[in-house]
Amino acid sequence: MLDNLGASLKDAVKKLAGKTVIDRAAVDELVRDLQRALLSADVNVKLVMQLSQAIKQRALEEEPPKGMGVREHVLRIVYQELVRLMGKPGEVALGPQTILMAGLQGSGKTTTTAKLARYFQRKGLRVGVICADTFRPGAYDQLKTLCDRIGVPCYGDPNEPDALKIVREGLPRFRKQYEVIIIDTQGRHALEENLIEEIININEISHADHRWLVIDAALGQQASEQARRFHAAIGIDGVLVTKMDGTAKGGGALSAVSETQSGIVFIGSGETIEDLERFDPDGFISRLLGMGDLKALVERAEEAVSAEDIDVNAMLKGKFTLRDMYKQLEAVNKMGPLKQIMSMLPLGGMQIPDDAYDITSTKMQRYKVIMDSMTPPELDDPSIIGGSRVQRIARGAGVSPDEVRDLIKYYKIMQRALKGMRGMGGGKFNMQRMMKKFGRTQ
Amino acid sequence: MFDSLKKKLQNIRTKFASNIEEVAGPEPAAAEQPLLAEAAEPAPLAAPEPPAPVEETPEERVEPTFFNRLKVLVREREVLLQEKDIEEPLFELEMVLLESDVALPVTDEIIARMRSDLVGRHRKIGASVDDLVASTLRSALCGVLGDGLDLSEYIREHERPVKILFTGVNGTGKTTTVAKVGHYLQKSGFTVVIGAGDTFRAGAIEQIRTHADRLGIKTIQHQAGADPSAVLFDTVQYAKAHGIDVVLADTAGRFHNRANLMSQLEKIRRVMKPDLVVYVDEAVAGNDAVIRADEFNKAVGTDAVVLTKADMDPKGGAAISVAHTVGKPILFLGTGQGYDDIMPFSPRLVVDELLGGEA
Repeated sequence: MLDNLGASLKDAVKKLAGKTVIDRAAVDELVRDLQRALLSADVNVKLVMQLSQAIKQRALEEEPPKGMGVREHVLRIVYQELVRLMGKPGEVALGPQTILMAGLQGSGKTTTTAKLARYFQRKGLRVGVICADTFRPGAYDQLKTLCDRIGVPCYGDPNEPDALKIVREGLPRFRKQYEVIIIDTQGRHALEENLIEEIININEISHADHRWLVIDAALGQQASEQARRFHAAIGIDGVLVTKMDGTAKGGGALSAVSETQSGIVFIGSGETIEDLERFDPDGFISRLLGMGDLKALVERAEEAVSAEDIDVNAMLKGKFTLRDMYKQLEAVNKMGPLKQIMSMLPLGGMQIPDDAYDITSTKMQRYKVIMDSMTPPELDDPSIIGGSRVQRIARGAGVSPDEVRDLIKYYKIMQRALKGMRGMGGGKFNMQRMMKKFGRTQ
Repeated sequence: MFDSLKKKLQNIRTKFASNIEEVAGPEPAAAEQPLLAEAAEPAPLAAPEPPAPVEETPEERVEPTFFNRLKVLVREREVLLQEKDIEEPLFELEMVLLESDVALPVTDEIIARMRSDLVGRHRKIGASVDDLVASTLRSALCGVLGDGLDLSEYIREHERPVKILFTGVNGTGKTTTVAKVGHYLQKSGFTVVIGAGDTFRAGAIEQIRTHADRLGIKTIQHQAGADPSAVLFDTVQYAKAHGIDVVLADTAGRFHNRANLMSQLEKIRRVMKPDLVVYVDEAVAGNDAVIRADEFNKAVGTDAVVLTKADMDPKGGAAISVAHTVGKPILFLGTGQGYDDIMPFSPRLVVDELLGGEA
């Protein structure tokens, strides 16, 4: 559904292209599509209305700088306003500190606590974790198991009902030995007064340096209200967005940022302990809008290069050879999973079949090895690869012929996908250039 | 839950009402002159519309052109509603629904329904506008919420053990819900066994085990990392052997975009053959609620829905979104941390509640 929104947003942007005067109707349409995209991403309704007002006003009133087209001008305003809404990424100091985790039930505090411990541990700090969740059965076991896996000590007692007592006893003990101490707390929501009372007390006795609010990416309009109350209670100074590996867009986090006047510190996007990333506003905006990397577009615009001057890439003409795929796989290795990269390209609706993504990094490695055993003519024109060539390549690469056929199948899927893209106005973009840009923002 | 939505809907209703009232505004002036016109018109030709009571069958609706408006106003002393008359309150209603986390496509549909129901509608001058708006809104909401499902009755009517499988994404409260439903069924006089099918998340088995122990419910568990299908198969066997009424199967939270985890769930379904697949989501979820409910429904099917954390959110729009997307009844609302904090869901009651008592 959101993919369609991205596509319609893109269409609206396209309508602005090539215009010399800003067209009120086109701006209106763009703003309306933007509103829909943001609302579907769970951004607070009031924020969306403010934002769209600001964009509309600026787009119609401000003169585009010389040499910048109307489209680029409007895009730049959209981007700037979104960045303003997003706030700065929250600061993360790599030094001794105490962090208090707060959030609703089931938002992922415990998992995130373990991920954070891992993050600081990898930065070379000594980390200790305190489990102050005395309510949910299994909470201590969960945190302990996760901490044991990375060799981080975890203080807690599943039989002690008083969370304050655990913090009071655990903290002094850990402060002597560890630099970073993370306190996991029980899930609570803002309407549970005694629990809010409890976290206020924990905050007081722990003298936490940071109080981070954990927000589920799927949280809807309720995010504002919850964040406001948490902020009033303990003064939130950072927001962590979890479960970004689902399809939720995380708009609720923006509401939280705006209510707490803080910034997003980390993004959790997976079930393993390593799946925690520092917040990157550009990636987040792209995801919100279901649209390619807006910043890259804006940067490109600011260089005032007109799209027509750029060479049309052979790849998009459908001349996608195995060599291109080889380069692509190499690039992908440096940049992360293919799907992420594809989602950064301004292709609007995902036109790429899912099996194209079904390729793991080990498989990619193998594909490269297989391609190393091919001759130049084969790389240029894979259609000449017949049965005997498959046998030869397989022997050369030390794999089974089936795997070679697998590779060719994958190549065909990619080729078809890229052909599909061609019709979408993507031809004007220089893929490699964009790839480079993404490489830099990563 | 629903309190604030209710308040807002109330405001909207008055808004609609006053706008519609305005349409009827020029009544005295307009009504006087055309008496002549009516006399002049060769009466029987255009006549066949009976001066029927308000808000009836759809055939009665007419294109709200100026002429028709006038005609209706004159002949039947009724007002024909035009789209622009209700545009503003419709927009406001849209905002209220969105702010209450009713997902965008669902909101669109409710608005469309309201629009098509109201535009071109006759309204007798003097008849209560509020009734008209309320009944339209009511039918729009009822249409979206669907029917309820009585679990106790379902269990009585089916062969035992009745097997219930709980699914959903991470952190929506499946494990807690399993415990609460277990408690609820025990209170209703059924015997229950729980299968600890979340073998992935650290601490999950301990969690369900502790809950079950407190409630005096038997748990069937394997080690962490075991095949959940096997655990749940064993649970069903246990229930059969011991003549237990209900099997509650907990599972690990999983995202609908993880193909391998979804096929694991599909395998669980194949192995334990549940009678009911219950999808658990949280009442505070936003637009994603619709997407994932749909994906789960497509992958393993959904027979009923439980919405948790309803106490967090006084608005409850997600209930409307999810119910609408899946088209399946909402079984329970989870409303707190205690075992008793679970409430059977009745759509009629909710709509009544939303629209204020008798409306």
